[in-house]
Amino acid sequence: MKKETHIHAAERFLSNKKNAEWHDETLWQTRTKRDRQAALIPEWEQLRELASKIKMHTITHLDRYLEQFATAAEKNGATVHWAKDAAEHNAIVLQILQQHEASKLVKSKSMLTEECNLNPFLFEKGIDVVESDLGERILQLMDIPPSHIVMPAIHIQREDVGKLFEEKLQTEKGNADPTYLTRAMRQCLREKFLASTVAMTGANFGIAETGDVVVCTNEANADMGTSSAKVHIVSMGIEKVIPSHDALSVFVRLLARSATGQPSTSYTSHYQKPQKGGELHIILVDNGRSDNLADKDHIQTLKCIRCGACMNTCPVYRRSGGYSYSYFIPGPIGINLGMLKDPKNYYTNLSACTLCFSCNSVCPVQVDLGNQIYKWRQGLNAIGKANRTKKVMSDGMRMMFQQSGVYHAAVKAAPLMNLMPRALIYCKANKWGIGREVPQFAKQSFTSWWKKEVQKR
Amino acid sequence: MPLIALDAIHYSDKVEQFVEVSKSVGGNAVVLREGEDINVLIRSLYPDAGKSASNVPGIDAVINPDDVRTSQELNGISLGIVQGVFGVAENGCVWVVQNVKERSLYFISEYLVILIDKDQLVDNMHEAYKKVQFNDYGFGCFISGPSKTADIEQALVVGAHGAKGVTVILR
Amino acid sequence: MGYRGKIGLFIPCYVNTVFPEVGIATYKLLTHLGIDVDYPVDQTCCGQPMANAGFEEKSVPLIHKFNELFDKYDYVVGPSASCVAFVKENHPHILEAHGQHACQMSGKIYEVCEFLHDIVKVEALPGAFPHKVSVHNSCHGVRELHLSSPSELHRPRYSKIKDLLSLKEGVEVFEPQRVDECCGFGGMFAVEEDAVSVQMGKDKLRNHMATGAEFVTGADSSCLMHMQGIARRENLPIQFIHVVEILVAGL
Repeated sequence: MKKETHIHAAERFLSNKKNAEWHDETLWQTRTKRDRQAALIPEWEQLRELASKIKMHTITHLDRYLEQFATAAEKNGATVHWAKDAAEHNAIVLQILQQHEASKLVKSKSMLTEECNLNPFLFEKGIDVVESDLGERILQLMDIPPSHIVMPAIHIQREDVGKLFEEKLQTEKGNADPTYLTRAMRQCLREKFLASTVAMTGANFGIAETGDVVVCTNEANADMGTSSAKVHIVSMGIEKVIPSHDALSVFVRLLARSATGQPSTSYTSHYQKPQKGGELHIILVDNGRSDNLADKDHIQTLKCIRCGACMNTCPVYRRSGGYSYSYFIPGPIGINLGMLKDPKNYYTNLSACTLCFSCNSVCPVQVDLGNQIYKWRQGLNAIGKANRTKKVMSDGMRMMFQQSGVYHAAVKAAPLMNLMPRALIYCKANKWGIGREVPQFAKQSFTSWWKKEVQKR
Repeated sequence: MPLIALDAIHYSDKVEQFVEVSKSVGGNAVVLREGEDINVLIRSLYPDAGKSASNVPGIDAVINPDDVRTSQELNGISLGIVQGVFGVAENGCVWVVQNVKERSLYFISEYLVILIDKDQLVDNMHEAYKKVQFNDYGFGCFISGPSKTADIEQALVVGAHGAKGVTVILR
Repeated sequence: MGYRGKIGLFIPCYVNTVFPEVGIATYKLLTHLGIDVDYPVDQTCCGQPMANAGFEEKSVPLIHKFNELFDKYDYVVGPSASCVAFVKENHPHILEAHGQHACQMSGKIYEVCEFLHDIVKVEALPGAFPHKVSVHNSCHGVRELHLSSPSELHRPRYSKIKDLLSLKEGVEVFEPQRVDECCGFGGMFAVEEDAVSVQMGKDKLRNHMATGAEFVTGADSSCLMHMQGIARRENLPIQFIHVVEILVAGL
């Protein structure tokens, strides 16, 4: 389905001034909280450097570490599955559910399962999937997608959550207090946790040396689900593996600080063995990741630990919201991941960047996000997706700038533009003029001043 | 694998730092005073605690969580008192390696008290991970403060699906 | 003072035609400091607009032209952080990507504030500029040329622009909230994503004006041009001036 371009979607987002302002300010506050946490750690920049090096080392030796992880996990009693793509991943999940005659699945947040479109697949097969992260649950009940990878419901107002809960959870009419609503969902989901037989989580990290899977949450939803249910399914992208607990210590110091400005998430859970009498299934998913390893221009996206800091700092994301991007992950990392997945489909997101490089500077693993966006733009012409107007303008500029004579004639003629009637200057084709006055060309250019005042002397 | 040789943060007073961070993340940390009775302290911190559960020797509790048959039976525990291994000063985390029959106790209790030895504090997560060990249960968790969420309009709500309050007692 | 050699002046196309006073101020200040300033009249453009739009191969002939014109100077100095950053950071890899020889410019091209701060090491400035100014820390200046410490990094705070302005009598220097957030110009971004671009510019202007400053000043006339366009459309009582014009005021 062809989605609206970022340009138009963003314009629409901004037309709701109050929401747009709130969205921008709230996400900026998250960036500020990150800054405050980073300022408390003198070795912060060293940590980022180390995290980047550990990730690069791991992804360039990925087969070795995946092998080590799988061996260790199986020795611990877990069952390791390998999924080449989304379809295989979903089929494996279904198979496990069917083996246990389960018609319900309680899950905690996982962007990978979004990527694999797991929920719609399971619904079609008659499985009731219950999202347990509050933000994801709200979106599930509203039947809309997430707009941020860490704060998925950031764009929803409390009144709308209140109305939703009135309808779905029979809460008090008109009560939109976040604490009241959260408690109502606690009660509702508590019943579902207690009744669940199969629970699913994502994985923030998989430790090669020891075979444990690490999940970081604030809500305890991952642990409520997996401690009640006997069967635990983990969906893990192959790039999530890291060598050791020593390596992990670097990432856990960076993750929550970068994502939400907390020194740590409330829970950093290590699942090493299945529960007694239970099962632990780890599905390692490729879905195009090993292809990205071969792409030297874009391999760095595999370092990403899905913290969302790049979104919080991106001035364009803050003012356009997650739904303005056509890929399910928005912001700087989303623009890049979308291009890796399907450039001909997601290239329209490339306009959503001023190349300010703020994202490069906050990324805890130093992914060169802005530089990669620049590189993707260079590659558009080759795949037939270059913007025709920009191409024509660039050709025109090149011709003018290459020939000094032509350029100087243009410079001389420029001030005449000032005399054009306003209606002509501010015609529809002049996009600059929609929100701004056009600059006045100086009566005497620098070149002509130089020739008169300096050269002639 | 790159060498992790960095001059990581150290605190002149680990206890003070741990207590400060615990409070800043919505939790609490208290040092057991010389001669103070731990059960008296716990009762003073949670005077309204109804059904309590603990398998820690010397701790008063209504039930022993190891006596239940299913994890669901622990629903309704208002105060879980559990043994932790060590604490981390930089972020108020406590490493809890499963030592109860049903790990749900750590999450299902309305409130949680975690006990650690006062001299079992490390400065940062690098030191922490050098001490992390698993037992036969194969589960461990760093817990920092109560469960929480800010998913509704970024308004912080303490108490999502796990404990609504956590106190670490250093003794 | 640190330097008195011969430099080539790099005047970007829009400075040439829209803000020639910035070029003139640059020339006057450098000359006053005893530097021999030459201006190769045949220069045109560094190639940034095409490259950022996705057509970096179209800048290759311009890069060659740039190298030829500026080869003979010790230093190349230009009053535009984004254009200088483009030459410094992008010329080498564009040439490399198109199988060309190595670029010589990176080691000797400087934005004028960096040049005054790092090479000339200015210690005193003539004249006065008795006004309140708000410093616009433009993205390429901050994150590519390191004119000031990026707010994202855990680094001791520094600002070469503020250091230079502190030498000028009468200037009261302020910085806005969100000290180095992008103003939304972004080259072609300004016309392609004009809704977001204008919103970013409006927000930036609001933060600058909240300092009480009479002028917004910075090292990038492109950013100033974008904000000025918005200010004029919205009738906002704020003026715009390049840093080098402040430094040379009263001369």
